[in-house]
Amino acid sequence: MTAINWAITEDIDRSVVILTAVLLVGSLVLLVYELASRRQRSWAVFVSGVLAALCVAIAVLRPVVVESRANVVGPRVVVLVDQSRRLTLPASGSSASNNPRSAKAALALRELSERFTEARLNALGFSEGPLSPLTIGPELIPLSLSGNRSDLSAALRELNATTSERPKAIVVVSDGRLARPLDALDDGALKEALGPSSVPIHTVSLTDSVPADASVRGIRAAGVAVAHQPLAVTVEVGCTGDLNCGRIPVKIRELRDGVAAAELASGVAEIKDGSATVELELTLDQAGGRVIEVSIASPSGDEIPENDVRHLTFMVARERIRLLHLAGRPTYDVRALRRWLKSDESVDVVAFFILRDSDGDEPGAPAFELALINFPVDELFTEHLRSFDAVILQDIDAARYKLSRYLGRLAAYVQLGGGLIMVGGPSSFAGGSYAGTPLDSILPVEQPKRDKPSDPKAFVPRYTQAGHAAEVTRPIRDLLGDALPEMAGTNHLGQIRPGAIVLWEHPELLAGAGSMPVLALGEAGDGRTIALSVDSTHRLAFGPMAAGVAGRAYGALWDGLLGWLMRDPRYEAARVELVGECLENGPDTLLRVERLPGMRGALTLSVSPLTETSGPAIVRELGEGSVEPMEVHLPGLRAGGYTARVRIGQAPPSRHDFACERSGVAWSDSRPDPERLEAIARVTGGQAVDTAGIARLPMPPATTVSSQREVAPVAPPWVWTLASAILLGAHWIARRNGGLA
Amino acid sequence: MAAGLAAPDAFAFGQDGAFQPRFLQTGTRALPSAHASGLSRWSWELIRRTSAPARLAVGSVTADAAELLAEPFTVWLGDGAVAPLSHPEIRGLRQYFALGGVLFVDDSDPRKGDFGRSVRAELERVLPESPTVRLPAQHVLYKSYYLLDGPVGRVQGPAYLEAIGSGKTLRVLLSSHDLVGALAQQRGGSWALPIEPGGAEQRELAIRFAVNLAMYVLCLDYKDDQVHAEELMRRRGRQRR
Repeated sequence: MTAINWAITEDIDRSVVILTAVLLVGSLVLLVYELASRRQRSWAVFVSGVLAALCVAIAVLRPVVVESRANVVGPRVVVLVDQSRRLTLPASGSSASNNPRSAKAALALRELSERFTEARLNALGFSEGPLSPLTIGPELIPLSLSGNRSDLSAALRELNATTSERPKAIVVVSDGRLARPLDALDDGALKEALGPSSVPIHTVSLTDSVPADASVRGIRAAGVAVAHQPLAVTVEVGCTGDLNCGRIPVKIRELRDGVAAAELASGVAEIKDGSATVELELTLDQAGGRVIEVSIASPSGDEIPENDVRHLTFMVARERIRLLHLAGRPTYDVRALRRWLKSDESVDVVAFFILRDSDGDEPGAPAFELALINFPVDELFTEHLRSFDAVILQDIDAARYKLSRYLGRLAAYVQLGGGLIMVGGPSSFAGGSYAGTPLDSILPVEQPKRDKPSDPKAFVPRYTQAGHAAEVTRPIRDLLGDALPEMAGTNHLGQIRPGAIVLWEHPELLAGAGSMPVLALGEAGDGRTIALSVDSTHRLAFGPMAAGVAGRAYGALWDGLLGWLMRDPRYEAARVELVGECLENGPDTLLRVERLPGMRGALTLSVSPLTETSGPAIVRELGEGSVEPMEVHLPGLRAGGYTARVRIGQAPPSRHDFACERSGVAWSDSRPDPERLEAIARVTGGQAVDTAGIARLPMPPATTVSSQREVAPVAPPWVWTLASAILLGAHWIARRNGGLA
Repeated sequence: MAAGLAAPDAFAFGQDGAFQPRFLQTGTRALPSAHASGLSRWSWELIRRTSAPARLAVGSVTADAAELLAEPFTVWLGDGAVAPLSHPEIRGLRQYFALGGVLFVDDSDPRKGDFGRSVRAELERVLPESPTVRLPAQHVLYKSYYLLDGPVGRVQGPAYLEAIGSGKTLRVLLSSHDLVGALAQQRGGSWALPIEPGGAEQRELAIRFAVNLAMYVLCLDYKDDQVHAEELMRRRGRQRR
């Protein structure tokens, strides 16, 4: 196809064209005004003037002839294919593996390539991230799926933002359960949500078959989870298809390491019109990442049981630290610890000190003249124990003060995430009847069987290699270096338990083949424990050594110990985090591991499931020279909770718990939504079809593409210049003859 | 190293944090001889009546000695005016207070009052920014072990105790009741000084006040904790009825 057009020369600026036009019009107006103001009008003056002005303008603009040849090509059609993991759901029936929606999408792609043979087709996948190019053609190519949600609005926005040729039509292939545009929008709002483009959007619905499925559709928490404070959680339960759903039990459990999961809340969803919401209140007592399992007991006939359970990581903040401080007798060591605890506004201390031993002490006054209250041991260990973040046992005899019967409960409390510090004294460790008790088994050190539970000889503890490496001791080492005050004796402690760390050791006493631990850290289930065998750390608060650093050394020691116990990131050796999400049916789980400044040594990552019995751990040894942050791929994690522990050299391990979902949000609502696809097609002037109706989709008009263009001047420039000079001369003569200047 | 700096081996394990009152020795003036045994008796009464450990062997310490920082409780008593503190003594006491040490000032002859007045003047030099205040009757000192209505000693002084504090913690307690005098014994076991005007009951109350003071030093404001408050208020109400 050839077309001839006229134009002005291309080598002059648009401003020159405008100026020329203005001057031409101005000169003609002046000429008309001049002639109109005279009684006797001269047509010769007028005609010659007009011709001269036009010729001057043409001489400036120099007209050209443009000859162009163009081709007609097929229209550009963009196919947007839903690529979210929801398409692994069955298109119909119960078996997703035989008949997933993604297979129908692949078939639809092939049929679209056949329907739009004459068009230029581009296929792009959309879900949560940027558009990804897909291959489209006569072959059946399986779709690669990613992302939990289908964001069509974002996909169209990205498409509009590209500078390439605008498509003449867009075809959306999906099951219609889109994250955006939202459902329940009126036509105006829906059009606005689809963006400013006027291109018609045709839709291909992959299925309209609603599976018989009960599922946990959504979980919403009101506000931020704070340790020890009730948190309202709304669970939305869906029930579709032919299931007989009346009342569906809902349960929330917290998955914990080494102990059975704890049921936090339960309720019943009363299903009405296919869904119900249950408001549940739960209290998480431990800060940090906590893994929560929300499950429903679905009725029989549920075709998709995989979405009956969800696993989520709740990040629990700690507003204040709540401590239970129990001391068997008042001493300066108790005084120093209380003084330090009370000085910290973020610590709530509930303290019970045994001021009078009813077996031996004689106060010489009736009870009402004494300011003593009974030690509420039953109440503390039955009702209130869970409300504390940590318990400090300082020189308190378990047998004499009736703690023995609660030591199992206290051990379980630690296993479930609580913290425990046992501070030395004559009534601590074996001297306080703790050896062989359930509490003994969770301490980081063994308690040896000896005649004397303690050694009265003064000594100065020394730092171990781990003590030098640990962030826990950095504050005190920053103040005192390796120096420590002399301690007036010690409890006898045994060998270190597997996985525990010794920070201080005795310079002379032995435990097994090695030096006797004095300060040791350990983990027990979800909790952490500290054993300190001496009762003289108050010398760091008051004494000649303390005076050298204005008494700050005591706070520096206990800041580190309590901070480590409470998993304060400042005292961890490494930082571990989950990158993206963990899905059983998704890509490899990615953990990012980063050692904190100053931490040296080989790095070992161990990932194990949060189960009652320790499952097999995935262990990765990462060299000291690895580039950081390191990203570790973990393939094949099953749904559930996991704990990742990173150990650097001899330092205490750092831990991060995370949830792994079976199918996640993508499968939470298995219903297709063909009505939404119909609405999208309607408001954009497109057509909605199912996969069988792809042949009915209209072909957009062809596109004309210019292929060749020739430009030639109408006449050489000198011709226009000469003609202008002649016509101006003729106009001057006419004016003279007409009596004009 | 001086004996007071280290935690000595001689103690049984667990005695390092025990209550051990010491006399503060300033200038050249000797302690009133009749009062010398008062601190040992104080420790003995604490051991007998409470679960707190205490050391019976007591001594004295000077304000400019490093040993002042070996224990956080010191008793400054006398019956006459004290000599002005030297600069090293002032520096030593400031360091002692900065670390949390408690000084109990006990006027052995409050009728004369020379000791109390001179000590107050010296403490103004040591802690010029800290005013002396009267302790209210509700202060934790009066409920740290026994429920008491006020300070009691060998002589009937004012119904209040004065103190110099830092925040909620007391640094100095100023008594005009000769508390140590009420505790002092003769070698044979009889009391060294007569109680005025009360007799045995006043001495018992003085001992209770001494126990409370020791408990305050060991436990600070423990009895102000919420878990104790309600029960103690109820008992006080019953006592007054």
